[in-house]
Amino acid sequence: MNPLWSNIFRKNPEEDSLAHFLGTVPVFSELGKRDLVLLERLVHCRHYRANETIFEEGDPGSGMYLLRSGQIRIYLRHRESHSEEDLTRLGPGDFFGETTLTAPSNRTAAARTLEPTELVGLFRADLLETAQKYPAVANKILLGLTRVVSERLQAAGYEIRRLHQVNEQLVAKIEEPK
Amino acid sequence: MPYSKPHTRAQLFLTYLVFTGAIATGLALFTSASTILNLIRSSTEGLFLPLLLALIVTFLLEPPVRIIERYGISRTASIFLVFLLVTLAMFLAANWIAPQWHSMWTSLEADIPRYLSRFVGFLKDLQASLQSRFPILETYDLPSKAKTFGEHLVAGTVPQLHRSALRIGSLLILVPLFSFFFLRDGRRILRAALSLVPNRHFEMAHDLSYLVTRQLAQFIRGRIFEAAIVALVVGIGLSLTDLRYVPFLALFAGVTNLIPYVGPLIGLVPGILIALVDLGMGGQFWWIVIVYFLIAQVLVDSFILIPILISRVSNLHPLWVILAIIMGGKLYGVLGMIIGVPVASIIKIAILEVRQYRRNFALPESGLEPERPH
Repeated sequence: MNPLWSNIFRKNPEEDSLAHFLGTVPVFSELGKRDLVLLERLVHCRHYRANETIFEEGDPGSGMYLLRSGQIRIYLRHRESHSEEDLTRLGPGDFFGETTLTAPSNRTAAARTLEPTELVGLFRADLLETAQKYPAVANKILLGLTRVVSERLQAAGYEIRRLHQVNEQLVAKIEEPK
Repeated sequence: MPYSKPHTRAQLFLTYLVFTGAIATGLALFTSASTILNLIRSSTEGLFLPLLLALIVTFLLEPPVRIIERYGISRTASIFLVFLLVTLAMFLAANWIAPQWHSMWTSLEADIPRYLSRFVGFLKDLQASLQSRFPILETYDLPSKAKTFGEHLVAGTVPQLHRSALRIGSLLILVPLFSFFFLRDGRRILRAALSLVPNRHFEMAHDLSYLVTRQLAQFIRGRIFEAAIVALVVGIGLSLTDLRYVPFLALFAGVTNLIPYVGPLIGLVPGILIALVDLGMGGQFWWIVIVYFLIAQVLVDSFILIPILISRVSNLHPLWVILAIIMGGKLYGVLGMIIGVPVASIIKIAILEVRQYRRNFALPESGLEPERPH
């Protein structure tokens, strides 16, 4: 098709917009279209090169990041052995660092890009300002955040219980031959 | 016409001219860098004060704008509404004060020489009593010196008032204009500035800008509110006496109250002087002293307002206060003296906030990670 016409009859410009992307993230699932447009003005789009540090373990954390494109790895750095332990790799649509959004604390792991990446940051300062200006929107964001954090907490609780059971079984196995 | 035709002489000459012109321009720019800097400096000379005042107005008007915005009115409309209300309030106040102000001003103009001559007379008595005790002072003519100093002061103030009226006129246009745009686009301006910060430091810069702005807003609102209440208390206290020029004295006490340590002392000088000349050392005089010192300063300001409104963080060492007053006075005259100390406090708050942040969290190391085999 002629580039001019393809420009005019673009299939779905909405799908390219930042607001649409934000709507696909679970944390913001409660937000309506107008709220998403407002959220669009709150977040910060940052472009990273490949292999660029996003944050280090121990850095002051003040918000969460959403991956719009690219890939990153979350890892721990062992200072004694000078080695790095991969925790996870994240791709488009994933988010990380959400625990520091409401409670100021240091980052518990480091994050680095693997390829050119676009991140969308939502920070505590902006959220606090929104809570004063548009309490309803902030409410929805916080509700979504609480839901996600609760789900993870629950999953972590199950995991701890499972590991506890495994641990007990191992202890029993070690003690058996005696 | 073929594309790669050999260049004609005219073309070569033109190229030569263009290159020579470019080199000459570059050289001229290079040599006149200082001139350009000077130009920039002189073109932005008068802008610091209106920008600063606009910033203060912005911090003051932000809460009401936010309250109106909460009712679903757009930000621009809310700013207009707040501006309208403020203008209306100022207009009403001016309407109410103007007739009194005018008569007060004319009588004050007539009264100043009278106060001055009374003051000189008082000094004469003082000198006589001093000379009887310390004969060595006989050669020193205190009253005439005071008289010439006072006349100088009055003669210097009156034309300066006209000049400052002109300045205030330009401020009256610039400050609302600037503060309107600060209120409307302040967030966007700050965001645009922040977006220039490199990725590695972005989070920290963002957090810091929020913390510093919050502290500044609190400080500025607190100071202005404090000055207004002190002016109100002094005004009410003085209006119980027969003292004249009470609104003027209250306003003066409020404005000078913005300067710590020295300000309140300067603020009570005209009041005490007028009381001394008009009312003498009677009961009313002592009541006025009590109003200035005990009620306004100690009771209201030190015990009630400062603990509530202003954190101790912004306290400056007296030495810094004096330095800030002198430097402010050198730069912007009387107005500079008043805003010098708050500006110094603002700088201190910003530095403290950054330091606090650095102490709480280790600063991130900078840099792109080198490529490493995984």
